[in-house]
Amino acid sequence: MTSSPIVARELVRHFGTGDNIVKAVDGVDLEVRTGEIFGLLGPNGAGKSTIVRMLTTLLKPTAGSAHVAGFDVVKEADKVRRSIGVALQDAAIDPLMTGRELLNLQAVLYGLSKSAGRDRGDELLERVGLTAAAERRVGTYSGGMRRRLDLALSLVHEPTVLFLDEPTTGLDPMSRLTLWEEVRRLNQSGTTVLLTTQYLEEADQLADRIAIVDHGRIVRAGVPRDLKARVGSPTLFVSVDQSHVESARSTLSRFGELRPSAEGTLGVGLARGAEDVAAVVRAFDEAGIKVRHLELNEPSLDDVFAEATGHRLEGAQ
Amino acid sequence: MSAVVESRRHDADARSLEVMVALVRRSLLRVRRMPSAFIPSLIMPVFQLVAFSGAFGAAVRLLGIDPMNWYMPLNAIQGASFGALGVSFGLLNDMETGFFDRVLMAPARRSVIVFGSYAAAIARSVVPVTFVILVSFLGGLHTPGGPVAIAMVIVASVMVALSACGLALGLTFRMRNMGAATLTQFAIFFGIFLSTSQVPLSEMSGWLRACARVNPMTNILRFARQGFLGDITWAQTWGGLVAMVALLFVSTVFALTGLRRYDR
Amino acid sequence: MSIATAITHSAQLTKRSVRGRLRQPAALAPAFIFPLFFAALGSASFNRLAQDPYFSENIASSFLNYAVAGAVVQGVLFGATSAAGDLATDIEQGFFERLLASPISRVSIVLGRLAASMVVGVTQVVVFMSLFVVFGARVKSGPVGVIGLIVSGALLGLAMAGLMAAIAIKSGSPEVVQGSFPLVFVLLFLSSAFFPRHYMTGWYRTVADWNPMSHIVEGMQGFMNHELAVDQFVKAWLIPLAVSIVGIAFALRSLNKRLAAS
Repeated sequence: MTSSPIVARELVRHFGTGDNIVKAVDGVDLEVRTGEIFGLLGPNGAGKSTIVRMLTTLLKPTAGSAHVAGFDVVKEADKVRRSIGVALQDAAIDPLMTGRELLNLQAVLYGLSKSAGRDRGDELLERVGLTAAAERRVGTYSGGMRRRLDLALSLVHEPTVLFLDEPTTGLDPMSRLTLWEEVRRLNQSGTTVLLTTQYLEEADQLADRIAIVDHGRIVRAGVPRDLKARVGSPTLFVSVDQSHVESARSTLSRFGELRPSAEGTLGVGLARGAEDVAAVVRAFDEAGIKVRHLELNEPSLDDVFAEATGHRLEGAQ
Repeated sequence: MSAVVESRRHDADARSLEVMVALVRRSLLRVRRMPSAFIPSLIMPVFQLVAFSGAFGAAVRLLGIDPMNWYMPLNAIQGASFGALGVSFGLLNDMETGFFDRVLMAPARRSVIVFGSYAAAIARSVVPVTFVILVSFLGGLHTPGGPVAIAMVIVASVMVALSACGLALGLTFRMRNMGAATLTQFAIFFGIFLSTSQVPLSEMSGWLRACARVNPMTNILRFARQGFLGDITWAQTWGGLVAMVALLFVSTVFALTGLRRYDR
Repeated sequence: MSIATAITHSAQLTKRSVRGRLRQPAALAPAFIFPLFFAALGSASFNRLAQDPYFSENIASSFLNYAVAGAVVQGVLFGATSAAGDLATDIEQGFFERLLASPISRVSIVLGRLAASMVVGVTQVVVFMSLFVVFGARVKSGPVGVIGLIVSGALLGLAMAGLMAAIAIKSGSPEVVQGSFPLVFVLLFLSSAFFPRHYMTGWYRTVADWNPMSHIVEGMQGFMNHELAVDQFVKAWLIPLAVSIVGIAFALRSLNKRLAAS
């Protein structure tokens, strides 16, 4: 047993049998420290949700072990459940019930007395700004309201560890910011948060540390700033006419290693940084390559992702 | 760990009951807010009561049995079972929306899910049964066995409904799709029709008699019908009791093991 | 557009519909299984009734022989309802729009569907008859009666498909079509499809007397259980034919309304 609220060792989950086996999670080591916001970043189908489902006792690991809040997720599932709050993908809420009814039900499920449940419900509704909508059926809520209610539901029993599976997927930018703020506030009051996301910005802005997940494995982990620094050089994206792509590629490779980029553009990590841009332009000029668009990006989490996986997250969805 | 968590440690059993009550209330709330899904289970058994006694009635009338008295227990049992099936539709819906995960993640006893569903199934099945009984009185039902006859029909209906619910839950946990409800409907359908649903054993020929003789539903129908056909006797009662308890036991085990298999 | 092209189109669409039906055996199975089960159940349960002098003299020689027509009718009705469900699904998913946008005649689109129901109806009669004959049923009116039964199965398929197609086109919703399914049951139970009208009493009997389904079924039961007679053709052919005309007229009217609306 360790003091960290979330620890996973060699966590594996397979689906299916025989030839159709899918290794959704393929040996994941993870340690989330007390009081931090930890982000699992990866594209759809990378295995993020499967990791969360194992950590939240919804799925038994095929191999490996995990402890949450100091308890084994398989052997002490019930104790884990008491300690964690979970907001799952797609805000699993019953559209026929009102916000307050759902909060009351959640309170009963977690063993709060009636009056304690009501008080806690009022407090949470207030906190996520749903007091006015409390008596309305959830079916009439907007996407942002549903997520906020889902968050409130996951907090009913004052969990010490909070799991948020893609909390802002499908939300408009305003609702996303509101939710981020709420997560930060929770974190400041001492809740450890593990969230999954496919948004670079979310991981960058919200998480203290991140792990990049691809094909069921963690390919990079650390503080976003450090990870970006490790990629080092900025990336220059160039788009040229289709006929010049090959010559542009060879020209660019003189300035640094080529990096994955979106369809129709070329990317290169400039070894000597921004000062090389002028030289690149000159080299294109000499080679008679017409440049349509040129963009220099400081290292981002997308570069970290690209360097680690060989493909980009942005534009992949 | 917070004070709230600490205070919950005690009285786990009292809590299981509270959780069950909450799950039943939610099930009934869904019925109230989406009655269109419930109404067919109310109308179907009444229609069948009218249709069976109206169309096939002559067959038992030839034997000196009043058709309404003959068919009412059958349709009450059938209506109760189909009413209880609504619980498994609700469960499937919860699995699809992810709501079921919320229940699974709660630190309550797992068996509460099955027994809470049972409690909801009772609530959902008593309504159509009451409706069938009322309509049958309008249609001329009489009770030579006294008020106990009515009680026995209700007991039989609820017991069969619970068994159907257990079967549906067990299948839903294993299959996780609509097929579970369809299979249960088939099981109820054939279970009921391959018994003494239309005529007494003595009237049947060949294969049907062979099926009906070993079908526990025949015992249950004998149990439920006796108070409408004559006096209530122990000889007609015990076989039905055994059949109901055995069916309920087997289907509950099936539901609980299904839940355990789902839970991984 | 020439009549020849319209016929070709109808035939093509008929083929598509029939193929569509055959590809979902789960949807088609109830139209075969339930009627057979009910007929088997009836003939195993109601033999005592078949020994009743009135029954054996006026209705049928055995309950099985009596139940054949009811089973055929039930099967055809089930099949036609689920075919209309396909049509409504087509409308809902937009395939119907694509057909309408093509140079295929509008009438062909509807007739293709209806013809498919006739094909399925004929198949059902043949399959059911063969099975029942194996189990001891006999067609008393001879080979002409067999043809009479087959044609009436086709006409009944047409009639039911026409009515259901009207509902499907008007609503465009598979749920509504499925929702009208219980009505089929009401129509069957309140007729002599499962049990002779003669033995019914009270208001139930009155409704069954007025239910056209009773007379269609009795026409077909006539082919099964009596010497060939004109009234069998009148009941088993002309009534469904009349219903077909009404049904198809309604279906085409709904189609025109739908076209005018879009």
